[in-house]
Amino acid sequence: MKSNDTSRREFLAAAGLLATAAVTGCATKENPFQPDAADGLKPSGKKIKLLSVDGEVIEVDEAFLKPVPHLPPVSNEQARIGIPGKKFVMVIDLSRCKSVKACQSACNHAHQLQGDQNWIKVYPMQDADHTAPYWEPTTCMHCDEPPCVKVCPVDATFKRQDGIVLIDSDRCIGCRFCMAACPYSTRVFNWEDPGLPKEVADQPYSCESSVPQKKGTVGKCDFCADMTRQGELPHCVSACPNGVFMFGDMIQDSVTNGAETFRFSDLIRDKAGYRLMEDLGTKPSVYYLPPVNRNFPFKNDEAKPEEKKS
Amino acid sequence: MDTLAKQQITEDLLPQKFGKQGQIWVAFLSVLCLVGFIAYCRQLSKGLVVTGMRDYVSWGIYISNFVFFVAISLVGSLITAVLRLTDVHWSTPLTRIAEIIAVSAVTFASIIIIVDMGRPDRFYNLFIHGRLQSPIVWDVIVITTYFFISLLLLYFPLLPDLQILLKYKEKTNKYLYKLYTFLGSFWKNTPGQISISNKAVNILCITIIPVAFSIHTVTSWLFATTYRPGWDSTNFGAYFISGAFLVGAGGVVVAMYVFRTHYKLEKYITDDHFDKMGKVLVMLALLYLYFNVNEFLVPAFKMKKPEEEHLLGLFTGEFAPVFWFAITTAMIIPILILIFKKGRKPKPAFVAGLLVVIGSWFKRYLIVTPTLLHPFLPIHDVPASYHHYFPTWEEWSIAIGSLAGALLIITFFARIFPIIPIQETITETEEHEKA
Amino acid sequence: MKKHNYLFPAMVLFSLISIASVAQTAAKNATRNDLLLSLGYFNTNNQTQYLSAKAKTKIDGKFQMVSGISLSFYISNDSSAANLLGKAVTDAKGNAYLLIPPAAQSEWKKSVKQSFVAVFAASNLYDETKANVQIAKAKLKIDTAADKKITVTALELKDTSWVPVKGVELKVAVKRMGGDLNVSETQTYTTDSTGTISAEFKRDSLAGDAKGNLVLIAKVEDNDTYGNFSAEQTVPWGIKTEYLSAYDKRTLFARRGHSPIWLEIMAYSIIVAVWGVLIYLIGQMRKIKALGA
Repeated sequence: MKSNDTSRREFLAAAGLLATAAVTGCATKENPFQPDAADGLKPSGKKIKLLSVDGEVIEVDEAFLKPVPHLPPVSNEQARIGIPGKKFVMVIDLSRCKSVKACQSACNHAHQLQGDQNWIKVYPMQDADHTAPYWEPTTCMHCDEPPCVKVCPVDATFKRQDGIVLIDSDRCIGCRFCMAACPYSTRVFNWEDPGLPKEVADQPYSCESSVPQKKGTVGKCDFCADMTRQGELPHCVSACPNGVFMFGDMIQDSVTNGAETFRFSDLIRDKAGYRLMEDLGTKPSVYYLPPVNRNFPFKNDEAKPEEKKS
Repeated sequence: MDTLAKQQITEDLLPQKFGKQGQIWVAFLSVLCLVGFIAYCRQLSKGLVVTGMRDYVSWGIYISNFVFFVAISLVGSLITAVLRLTDVHWSTPLTRIAEIIAVSAVTFASIIIIVDMGRPDRFYNLFIHGRLQSPIVWDVIVITTYFFISLLLLYFPLLPDLQILLKYKEKTNKYLYKLYTFLGSFWKNTPGQISISNKAVNILCITIIPVAFSIHTVTSWLFATTYRPGWDSTNFGAYFISGAFLVGAGGVVVAMYVFRTHYKLEKYITDDHFDKMGKVLVMLALLYLYFNVNEFLVPAFKMKKPEEEHLLGLFTGEFAPVFWFAITTAMIIPILILIFKKGRKPKPAFVAGLLVVIGSWFKRYLIVTPTLLHPFLPIHDVPASYHHYFPTWEEWSIAIGSLAGALLIITFFARIFPIIPIQETITETEEHEKA
Repeated sequence: MKKHNYLFPAMVLFSLISIASVAQTAAKNATRNDLLLSLGYFNTNNQTQYLSAKAKTKIDGKFQMVSGISLSFYISNDSSAANLLGKAVTDAKGNAYLLIPPAAQSEWKKSVKQSFVAVFAASNLYDETKANVQIAKAKLKIDTAADKKITVTALELKDTSWVPVKGVELKVAVKRMGGDLNVSETQTYTTDSTGTISAEFKRDSLAGDAKGNLVLIAKVEDNDTYGNFSAEQTVPWGIKTEYLSAYDKRTLFARRGHSPIWLEIMAYSIIVAVWGVLIYLIGQMRKIKALGA
């Protein structure tokens, strides 16, 4: 009896809440910004006044504004935890790549990479003598069992709950064990001072934007964690003219290259997606679609394609 | 045994002032250290860009040197602990040589690892942010432990000798006398003290063996815990330890010869010692050869694609000259010299020991670098210079400077303390006469 | 080396051309590039109205985004101070956004059509540049039925009332990060004479939030008459999804303090045993000292 009683009381309270919600919902014009299931955002409490299409003045919580107002970078602690409820994933369609390298230059520009550093590499590949050559762009694989994170002695590189592997350049001791451990050769080292413009070099380091890079520390692709926090796509994805890169939230089962959006599970099933070096057990977050029905002929001006070894 | 003989032994073995040769030697080593230090200052100000290392070969001769130091330090546990526990007495005069090699090598192993760091200023992060999952943290723990054990193993047997040194006040100077007083004035050679000390040395000998195995096994795991062809091997711990015993024993033979000729210790480091150490070296070289066959033949039989390029590079390619040089000088030639009785005379044994040490240094280089030049994905989108590795003068200077530093520690130790344990030699001689 | 064979003449040719063109432009105007501005009107979910301007320029035949320049936005075609809505600075991608503020209310209510203009004031880099956009006020209405049918109505403001409008092309999708996932194979729909379209939700067992909710979005993009506008609606058509990451598990790749139990037991027992021995031996050393004193 007693338990019944409480449940009834709870029910009543819930109903009351619903009613209030409905009333306030009516009060603030049609269709208020409800907390958005897709973004998992929480209201910030700070309201912004706007003009609606009907010519009425309305109030909107800052957190739900699109375009996202410029937010200060998150704290180191938050950057280490990541965004709850998300699992970021990338799909790279090899049939669309012709090594334009717009991804690489956009990435280098966004992360202020200097000199010879490239976080994105575009490999000319050929699996065996008589198989077809193709271009293979690589980013950090953001492995679910990252070998680089396993070996880091000081938590300078870490795995977040949203799947992104980041580097804290303010903590890295430069032992380069992670570079030896990574089978995808994705990590680079700042052998000398990166030579950044003073205003960039003086910024406080942010793990999510990986800027500014620092002498004697390791750098790598960060899945543009600062962009994904704002719900935007990484720079390589939006820069690619051929839509090679697709990015999204695996929990939402959707990836997009900006122009087209696919259901992730359908895409991987229909096009036989795979991951690099699956046998190593690193469980990458980057999937590849095989280079079948290529959009472009393979034309390598650099040299003959190198052989893939695994 | 009469007191005169005792007197003789003591006077023979007391530390001696540097002669002209000694002074030149110390000056030479100091210059090497200084050049290394200057090179390191350049590295500190400009960054690791002054080295030949780049994104693919991210570990170079610093790490080879580190592995070499860790390897050679293992000899302390071999000569002192293993032989003592098995009741082998001929090695008694060699224990202190082995122990000081261990201590100085471990010291420079930790220094060289700091040299290799991109941010040595953040070394403290290892203590405030250390992650137990990382083999580097295991290495830090185990090297610190080994250093302390080696130091204790050096110190306990030194106590009776310190008392002897204090007795010969006229043979030493003011500062050294103060040092001896500080270190050992409480030693009165009472039966109580002797029994505690003997027990302590026995406990140390038992403790140092697993720790010594750990230090080099963990060092091998820095490589074997990665996926890379050439490193991804379950054989690696044993392979490293056998190699370490070999180079350590080789180092001891070299040191024995140098101390014997320089300090005229023919009565104490006898031909028989060289004969026995020669046999030990042959055994260790064969053991290491066995592990090498294991390490290369098995993957070469299968020739898995990622391994193929690496192995061919060693056997017939870019690294073939160094590879075959290392194999022949570290193992084959020393075996060929030392299997003959004449080869185990001091001079040829010294040459064999030197070959072992030199060959082993290059062997460490081959363990580190070629693997890094053969990653899973081809080397791409980097400048042409990233495809090769050759150490710069800064790297050579620092590496050579660290080796010179280790030798300098050994040299100064022999200047300050008796390099052959006096008290133990007297005791052994007495027991020998009684028998 | 082979590469250089044709690279070199190409480079010579290129430099000759560029010298020639530089000489030409130098005659006209020192180094000024033309600033290209475009302006768009957006209305998200019938609620947030904003203007978006994009600034680019052509350097060596390539478009480049112009970041860090200040733009002024005005309501109506008259860029007088009274009509100023606000200013915004272009970001790294050359975009500047301005939310339409309540201050524009009286001007907004004057007409069913509305003009905006974005102005860049002349500087030493670029001349004064303007871009404008004119829109008719419109909005979308989403209705959903239980059998996963979606009806969207496009409405246009005529005088003072909203009337359905025919022939508007729109998309119906599920809101997703970065881009929206169409509800079915149909890419776009066009409204009929009643101003409506009907779409079917065919994304079976698509992951929703923890309660199984999805957010539907109907949107009109780059419409010549109306600009960009959208409407959203939450529906319980997804499957309940909650993601549990391995973040708090004890693994080899977890953070400090989260190493596997077996590793901690092994490591700490070894450390305690060995250092226990060492501390005992240091105790013995003190004993020896005491005996000698």
